[in-house]
Amino acid sequence: MATATANRQPLATALTRSRRAKDRAFSLFLMLCAALALAPLAVIAVFVLVRGAAALDLNFFTKLPPGSLDPPHTGGISNAIVGTGMIVGLAVLISVPLGIATAVYLSEYGRGRTATVIRFTANTLLSTPSIIAGLVVAATVVTWTHSFSAYAASLAISILMWPVVTRATEEVLRLVPQELREGALALGVPRWKVVLKIVIPTAGSGILTGVMLAVSRGLGETAAILLTALGNNYMNTSYGRPTAWITGYIYFWARQPQAVLQQLAWGAGLTLMMAVLLLSISARVVSVRRQRRLT
Amino acid sequence: MRTRKLAVVAGIVSLAVIAAACSSKSSTSTGGGGATTNTGVPLTGAGSTFAAPIYTQWGKDFNAVESGAQVNYQAIGSGGGIDAITKQAADFGASDAPLQADALAAMPADAVQIPTVLGGIAIAYNLPGLTAPLNLDGPTAAGVFQGTITTWNDPAIATLNPGVSLPSTTIRPVHRSDDSGSTFVFTNYLSSQSATFKKTIGADSTVQWPSGAAGKDGSDGVAGYLVQTEGAVGYISYDYAVANNLGSAAVKASDGSFVAPSVASISAAGAGLKFPIGPDTNVLNSSVAGAYPIATTTYVIVYKAQADQAKGQTLVDFLHWGLTKGQDTAASLNYAPLPGGIASQALAALATLTYNGQPITPSAGA
Amino acid sequence: MIGLTLASGIVLIGVLGLVLAVLASGGAPTFAKFGLRFLTSSRWDPPHQEFGALPFVFGTLLTSFVALVLSVPVALGLAILLNEPISGKITGPLATFIDVLAAIPSVVFGLVGLFVLAPWLEQHVEPLLHTIFGWVPGLGMLFPALSRGVNGRVIGAGGDYFVAGVVLSIMILPIVTAISREVVATVPRDLREAAKALGATRYETIRMAVLPYSAQGIAGAAFLGLGRALGETIAVSMVIGGGASVGASLFAPGQSIASAIASQFNGATNALQRSSLLALGVVLVAMSFGLAAVSKALVGRGARRLEPTPADLADPDPGSPVTAEAA
Repeated sequence: MATATANRQPLATALTRSRRAKDRAFSLFLMLCAALALAPLAVIAVFVLVRGAAALDLNFFTKLPPGSLDPPHTGGISNAIVGTGMIVGLAVLISVPLGIATAVYLSEYGRGRTATVIRFTANTLLSTPSIIAGLVVAATVVTWTHSFSAYAASLAISILMWPVVTRATEEVLRLVPQELREGALALGVPRWKVVLKIVIPTAGSGILTGVMLAVSRGLGETAAILLTALGNNYMNTSYGRPTAWITGYIYFWARQPQAVLQQLAWGAGLTLMMAVLLLSISARVVSVRRQRRLT
Repeated sequence: MRTRKLAVVAGIVSLAVIAAACSSKSSTSTGGGGATTNTGVPLTGAGSTFAAPIYTQWGKDFNAVESGAQVNYQAIGSGGGIDAITKQAADFGASDAPLQADALAAMPADAVQIPTVLGGIAIAYNLPGLTAPLNLDGPTAAGVFQGTITTWNDPAIATLNPGVSLPSTTIRPVHRSDDSGSTFVFTNYLSSQSATFKKTIGADSTVQWPSGAAGKDGSDGVAGYLVQTEGAVGYISYDYAVANNLGSAAVKASDGSFVAPSVASISAAGAGLKFPIGPDTNVLNSSVAGAYPIATTTYVIVYKAQADQAKGQTLVDFLHWGLTKGQDTAASLNYAPLPGGIASQALAALATLTYNGQPITPSAGA
Repeated sequence: MIGLTLASGIVLIGVLGLVLAVLASGGAPTFAKFGLRFLTSSRWDPPHQEFGALPFVFGTLLTSFVALVLSVPVALGLAILLNEPISGKITGPLATFIDVLAAIPSVVFGLVGLFVLAPWLEQHVEPLLHTIFGWVPGLGMLFPALSRGVNGRVIGAGGDYFVAGVVLSIMILPIVTAISREVVATVPRDLREAAKALGATRYETIRMAVLPYSAQGIAGAAFLGLGRALGETIAVSMVIGGGASVGASLFAPGQSIASAIASQFNGATNALQRSSLLALGVVLVAMSFGLAAVSKALVGRGARRLEPTPADLADPDPGSPVTAEAA
């Protein structure tokens, strides 16, 4: 009896077995994808943490970069930290107000062709390679002012940060319920006040998230600043002079044969990663809190 | 509330812009030139990675002489240095190659090229197990970099090195991928030694190397590759080769002897340097006895008419110091000081710098 | 208010105009002299005043192609996974980690790529690929044998097209995943449920209902990823090897358009060389914009937006039971 059943497998069962096998294989593939996505992050996190931590000490944050013949743990990236702060700081001051203003136009006032062109421009600049931004500012501002400078670098990365702010802000402004606007307008509040005092504050934390994303982008920038800020072995607090910045040192020291400089590169990488992660997590916390508040 | 915030932001932006405009011209020097002392102002120099160690060291040492003089030297390659000085974005440019005709034509004002130190381009290699420097001659080196000689135990290399057991490792040539004065010097040397090299590759700061060869940015990048890659060979400044414990080839000189790079052999080559510096000036293949064939002078390029008094004074002080007291540092960093006669001619070239038509004389102590 | 905001929009247009003007005017002499030959010649030879962009275009395309081949399947798998009704405790953190990957600066990718990934790939993965594919006629040329030193270690070039492609694939994974995820999310529930009703397994549902519907959008996501890969400069220049080869070998050192511009721009004094570098910039920008446009056209119908936005960050899993509870 058993043999007979075994030989006379109904068609449906035979299909099910191979189908189940395929399904299981597919599930395995999905899990493999998840692992492949997480593996690089784990590798980067571990190596940056371990090799970078070895470089961090008080000197790292307070001293100027060492020469190639100096012993380890004598130098640091103090000038680069200040330089990055200056460059990204000014870039935020330029790109955030402009980015929000453009987003406000697109979301609140923009109709028809002008808005389409502006939106197209923002998308195009968003996908512009960063070296192009650096190239353009180097060919114009640096050449005309006869100086590599921190503010030229700020201008270059503002070109890249502006569309990030605009895109993020426009998205969030659109999510503000139309009833809020209509209610205020019905009460006789002038249009500009509705935008400034109701729409923008409601979208407030979303805009903040967008700003954090832009700052994150600015911190990680290298190519655009390479062509505009030149670099500086000394501490510089003047916007009109060449300045050091963190990613530039990582890029430069990574290819040096001396171990002391390579160690500094890892330390700088860790510092940068911590800053960027802090921003990403804060952005997420702000968003989630906002989501909870709105719902 | 919101408006106030906006106003604050606008205020900060305006302040930043004003600060940027004002800050580029601050100076703190007291006294002009002549015999008075100068505290100096920050200077920016850009260019050659070949000479970077010496200018960086000079910058540090000079800071002790003039406390306000922070010489910020950025090694972006000779081409970058020439570009920076042409754009007037740096106070001095540093190049291993003298200005070529089109670069000279692009300069907005009269510039002077001042040799500062001598250096050698070493043919450095990574061959563990070799006890003595490898002997190479011009045509063989050209073959290696052209890709016609592919293994280390090739007969062409073996004949030059009788009795040395050469491995059969593949030769991995590496070149500079950025615009480089070192490339300029080395390709000029190879072009003078091999007609095929001259025809197929030629001599310039960027050339088309054979397919498959690795390229790195900066002398440091090349040194890094050489350290990590067995069988690799590349051209870098002699001091980088020493600093990274790389072997340097002994190159065949015009009298048939094989000369390894050293402070003495490089210095000997400098004796033939001729002023005024022209596009063809070089100290390659020097016929002086014991001279290293692939030696080069490295130049600082500055404008004759300085636009800023404080900067011009500090610049003259720095270069004067470098051409006199700084020459002692050269040897310790594996560069060669300028021979006496050459140094005085360089100082004479420096003396042509002016501000408002008046020559700038070095301050006391510089 | 409208005046101010409109003005900022106009300034933005002005900025783009400036970018295009600088590139076009700078590159004009090169295009005037070489015409289309600029794109087909492989001689980048400053001493002889000959500039052909083919080696760099080739390098850019090859590394980007490798990046796509490696990342699109994984992105697809992730997109499907994140849209399945699995516990939000898995999908939430997974999505977060992918977003974190997107935030890592390019230079850090280059640092880890150069010191960790490149040696590992050169020593272990590349010989393996040679063993698996090296004998295949035609395709095998891409995976040549690697020379070894006296102690048996593979002698690498400090980077090559393959390593650059792998690094790029990791860098574009987040964006391709994000768009693909949106695209897969728009598959109507009816389609899925119909498949389920017919007795399909999960694999079959996806194969029959989800994939055909989202194929076009996934292609759009891939194009967007490609556009990103093209413009990536720093990480690529740190691991691509810097060589000058146009040969068909993945294990050879090379240059991409962006890495060539980065290496040579500051130093180019030869006027035609500088113009050629700007012309390279034009080529790069044209390729990126073109791809972004194609991507938008393909994705436009399927997904709501092209970029992960703050709304994405706030909403770890659109349509998952977790957010439904929170709402």
